Amino acid sequence: MNSIPAKKEIAFSGEIGGKIAEKIWDSIKSGLILVDSEGKILLWNSWIAQHSGIPAESALNHFLGSLFPDGLAASFKTALRNVLQHKLPIILSNALHRSPLPLYPLPVAHRKQDRMQQSIIITPIVTSEKKRLCLIQVTDATLSIKRERVLKSHSERLSKVAITDALTGAYNRRFFDERFTAEFGRAQRQNIPLSLIMLDVDFFKDYNDRYGHPAGDKALISVVTALKSQLHRPTDVVTRYGGEEFAIILPDSGSEGGQIVAEKLRAAVSGLNIPHGTSSVTDHLTISIGIVSYQPDTSCNATCFLEAADAALYRAKHDGRNCARHLVTPECGKPCPADTPQVDSPD
Amino acid sequence: MTHRNSIKSLLIVDDSRVSRMMIRTFVLAKYPQWIIIEAASGNEALEIVDRDTPNCCTMDINMPGIIGTDAAAQILAKYPGIRIAIFSSNIQQSHQTRAAALGARFVAKPVTENSVAQALEFFESNP
Amino acid sequence: MNSLSDLQLDALTEIFNIGAGRAASSLSEIVNDEVRLSVPRVQLYQSSEINADALSLDSPRLGAVKQSFSGPFNADAMLLFTEERAMKIVHDMMGSQVGIEDMAEYEQEAMCELGNIILNACLSSMADMLDLTLDSSLPVYSVGATDAVLRQIILETNQPLILVLHINLSIEKRHLQGYLVFLLSSSSLQKLLSHIDRFISGI
Repeated sequence: MNSIPAKKEIAFSGEIGGKIAEKIWDSIKSGLILVDSEGKILLWNSWIAQHSGIPAESALNHFLGSLFPDGLAASFKTALRNVLQHKLPIILSNALHRSPLPLYPLPVAHRKQDRMQQSIIITPIVTSEKKRLCLIQVTDATLSIKRERVLKSHSERLSKVAITDALTGAYNRRFFDERFTAEFGRAQRQNIPLSLIMLDVDFFKDYNDRYGHPAGDKALISVVTALKSQLHRPTDVVTRYGGEEFAIILPDSGSEGGQIVAEKLRAAVSGLNIPHGTSSVTDHLTISIGIVSYQPDTSCNATCFLEAADAALYRAKHDGRNCARHLVTPECGKPCPADTPQVDSPD
Repeated sequence: MTHRNSIKSLLIVDDSRVSRMMIRTFVLAKYPQWIIIEAASGNEALEIVDRDTPNCCTMDINMPGIIGTDAAAQILAKYPGIRIAIFSSNIQQSHQTRAAALGARFVAKPVTENSVAQALEFFESNP
Repeated sequence: MNSLSDLQLDALTEIFNIGAGRAASSLSEIVNDEVRLSVPRVQLYQSSEINADALSLDSPRLGAVKQSFSGPFNADAMLLFTEERAMKIVHDMMGSQVGIEDMAEYEQEAMCELGNIILNACLSSMADMLDLTLDSSLPVYSVGATDAVLRQIILETNQPLILVLHINLSIEKRHLQGYLVFLLSSSSLQKLLSHIDRFISGI
């Protein structure tokens, strides 16, 4: 298991010895500084010279702290001291330290520009004479940050496509399933209210038959726009549950808040005044709404909660459509797992 | 300098037995006559102080139950004459400030001859 | 040898608490806020006992920062955190507005640093108190399914006993429980204990 490989001294063959080490560290595309236990500089490679604007002649045998007019960052000094004292390697991540050393992107024309983003590793080195030295390696983190940003925005775009309904721009069923599971779990764990709205466009099949599918598609888009216009919290989002059925999760909303929102949604869609000649409710397009509100300290589970929302929607249709009906858990109206106490450990 | 030679009683409060042993050893090496009492928690320390009223006290911070700085505050409120050195490995400013505000001396752990010497110096200084 | 004596445990706990204090000081310098870090318990586990339940790790994924050290005895030291919580802490430390799910590679470097600070503090405290010299590799961060990470640990050590430190870390309002696992061979554990015995008898 143990894991530090036997340490190998770098050996140069006699032919290429001499100045080869110097050429190697000057070719390296990251900064190398070697200091002794007093902070005196023993090595200052080309990369560091270029990005600091301080040539090796001016740096060697000087103290690191005295080279920079503004001194060194406190965290950098602490790290250096710790490496010398405890002989353990240290990472200064870019995320937490940004730019500890006054190094700049090329060309280093003026010091007013922003410092280079850095990742730093400091490792202890003990010479054969038992002298303690510190090797400071600096890499330019700007590129990796840029790469991360590109990857992030790419994956954000990808994930947006994966959870969006292409026609209406509402979130899709997959998103609903994930979000609902998460929000219901949160409501149960933290004992906070949660409301769920299920709604259905009234006589939508008849609308399609009468006006054609392209018109039906347009109507759905208008309905979603109207629904969105009534939701003001970023957590309240419209999802297309299937066909002409939509679901809206309202985290932290109890029955009163849920009913207010439902009425607003109903009025907004009705207010669109989209003509619907074959509707037996009225002369324009309407929706029926079922709301269910989770009451903390009840033992209803996610399936039963979802069924309750369906039952409320059914009741709204049964009661003449273009209206909202409300249920509070656990009065689900039919046998549901909530009635049996074994569900949902308090955890 | 007579006070330097007077026999004192010291209460060592630390949940680590090893730390108590080390403090005891370093103190007795310098003052073999001193009377040492030990407590493994802040709550135990409060009881002992009422019973034995020591001259001075070393107090760890991180302990189960009441934490050391709170125990020190309660002790000093009742017995302002007791000299307390607060021992902690946590040298964050907030702990040092709290110790200073209580009129106690902050001493950084680990327990060494040197850190114990700092506490002893505080015990012997004039209030 | 299947267990540690009370005094050995007490000495180890104190050593690591001093390490925790040092780490808390370093972390508070970075976040400019009070950091609480403690090691309430040190335990020797049979490797067969190591599982998510025993360590009460309720997260599906585990982040691990590992450093290998060598000296009078050799060991791998691994800091285990539930990934989600650890990322939140790192996020707070960075003052970042990005969502946790977007935690990217360069932010994982920050996880490495967090682990590095805690591991170094514990190792240096051990080296100071026991008067020995330890060398260490650079930290490596990895993340994986909790069970897989734990299985891997047991597999890699191939040793009957594993030394586990329970760690509590709080920064601002966030609280994080973690574990520092020392993977030592039986002979390395024996050497560690002999150093501890020497330390205790020297008091």
